[in-house]
Amino acid sequence: MISSLYIYSASGSDPFENLAREQVLLERGPADGVVLYLWQNQNTVVIGRNQNAWKECRLSLLEEEGGRLARRLSGGGAVFHDLGNLNFTFLLPREDFDIPKQLQVICNACRSFGIPAEISGRNDLTAAGLKFSGNAFYKSGSRAYHHGTLLLNADLDKLTRYLSPPKAKLEAKGVASVRSRVENLCVMEPSITKEAMMRQLITAAEKVYDFTAQELVFTPEMTAETARLTEKYASREWRLGANVPAAFSCQQTFPWGTVSLELQVERGIITHAGVFTDAMAWELSQLIRQALEGREFSRSAMQEGLLSIQIQPDIRDDVLRMLAEQEI
Amino acid sequence: MNFPAELKYSKDHEWVKFEGDTAIIGISDFAQDALGDVVFVNLPGEGDEVNAGEAFGDVESVKAVSDLVSPVSGTIVAVNEELADAPETLNSDPYGAWIIKVEGVTAQEELLDAAAYEAFCAEEA
Repeated sequence: MISSLYIYSASGSDPFENLAREQVLLERGPADGVVLYLWQNQNTVVIGRNQNAWKECRLSLLEEEGGRLARRLSGGGAVFHDLGNLNFTFLLPREDFDIPKQLQVICNACRSFGIPAEISGRNDLTAAGLKFSGNAFYKSGSRAYHHGTLLLNADLDKLTRYLSPPKAKLEAKGVASVRSRVENLCVMEPSITKEAMMRQLITAAEKVYDFTAQELVFTPEMTAETARLTEKYASREWRLGANVPAAFSCQQTFPWGTVSLELQVERGIITHAGVFTDAMAWELSQLIRQALEGREFSRSAMQEGLLSIQIQPDIRDDVLRMLAEQEI
Repeated sequence: MNFPAELKYSKDHEWVKFEGDTAIIGISDFAQDALGDVVFVNLPGEGDEVNAGEAFGDVESVKAVSDLVSPVSGTIVAVNEELADAPETLNSDPYGAWIIKVEGVTAQEELLDAAAYEAFCAEEA
C-alpha cells in the first residue's frame, strides 16, 4: 500500500550517475511510498537493456561530438536526451505498479498547459499524433519502476542524426527500436519550461496519489551505493558488453585488391574474424584474423591489433583507413 | 493455467526440477502469462555462479524487463541457447523451455509444491 509521495530532483546531468540514482531509489527507496524522480541527461543516447549499441545508434559520431552512450535497466528502444528533455521515473512497490495511473500523472501535467496529451499504445504519449514521451518499465523482486522522456525543446536534429541507422552493415540479435514522429512540447505550447513542467508534474502526482509531496533525502548509504553503481553504468562492460551478439561486415576495394571483413561480436569482444581477399596471400589474412580476434570491438583496439603484426605498410594503411571510416 | 505436479516453484515464479544433483530452472505458466509476449531473454553464461534469491538474467516482454531470480545457489552447467533465437518459446511452452541447469546446489529459496504454488498464484492474481 502506498502511504506517501516523495520527490527527488537530480541536480547533475551525468547519465551514469542519474541512472545509478534511479537504481538506488528502486532498491533502497522508501518501501511504503511512491517516489517521483525527475532528471536530465546532457547529450546522451540511452539504449534499452537488451539492445545492441552499434545497431541502435551512430556510436562513433555521437562520441566524436562529445555525446555519451548509456544503457538502462528497462527494455524498449533507443532515445536521445539533452537538457531540452526531462525524464521522470515512478518507483514503487510492484503490487502498486499501475501504468495507466502513472501515465495519468504525466497526461494531467501536460494538459494543464493545454497540450491534448493522449496515451498511445503501451509506451507512448502523443499530442495531435506526434510523440513527445516514450515510456519503459522494469521489475525486480518486490519493486518496479516506470520511467519516460518528455521532449520539451530537445535538439531533434541531433536526435535524428544519432538514432539513424548506421551505415555499416551490422546484423544483431536483441530488441529493435521503433521509430516514431516526434515533436517538442514547446513547439505546441511556448510557455512550457522545465521548471514549470516539474511543478505541474508534482502537482499532478499529489492529486492522483492524494498525498502531499515530500522531498526525499539520500542517506549516506544511498549516496555511497550511487557512487558504486555510477561506475557500473559508465563501464564499457555494461554499456557495450551486453549479451546481444552481432555480426559486423565491411568491404572495400583498393588498388591492390578487394578486402572484406566479417566480425562476430559477443559481449563487446570480437570472437571470430573472417578476412577475405582476392589479393593477399592466405597467410596474410590469417595474420589479420589473429590480430583482431579476442580484441574489443572498438576502432582503437582493432587498430592496435593491426599495428602489432608484420604486414606490408600500404596494405596496413589501407585496412586501417577502412576501419577508421566505419561507424564502430 | 498449468501447474505440473512433479515440479517445485519459487515465489518469484520460477520452476525447479531436481534431477539427481542437477536443478533445472525455468519460468512458470503464471509468470509467462503475466509477462506477456517475450521478445528477448538475456541469458547468463555457462560456468557462472548463481545465488538463491538473486538475479541471473532477465526477460524482456512487450510489457517490461523483469529479472530472472534464481531459486538455488550453485554453478550453471548448461544454458538453453535456443531461447536466444526463439524467446517466444517461454510463452508457448514454459515447462519445456528450461533456461539454466545448475549443479552443486548449496542453498535454495523456499520452494512450494504445485498445490501450494497454485494457491499462491490465486492470491497474487
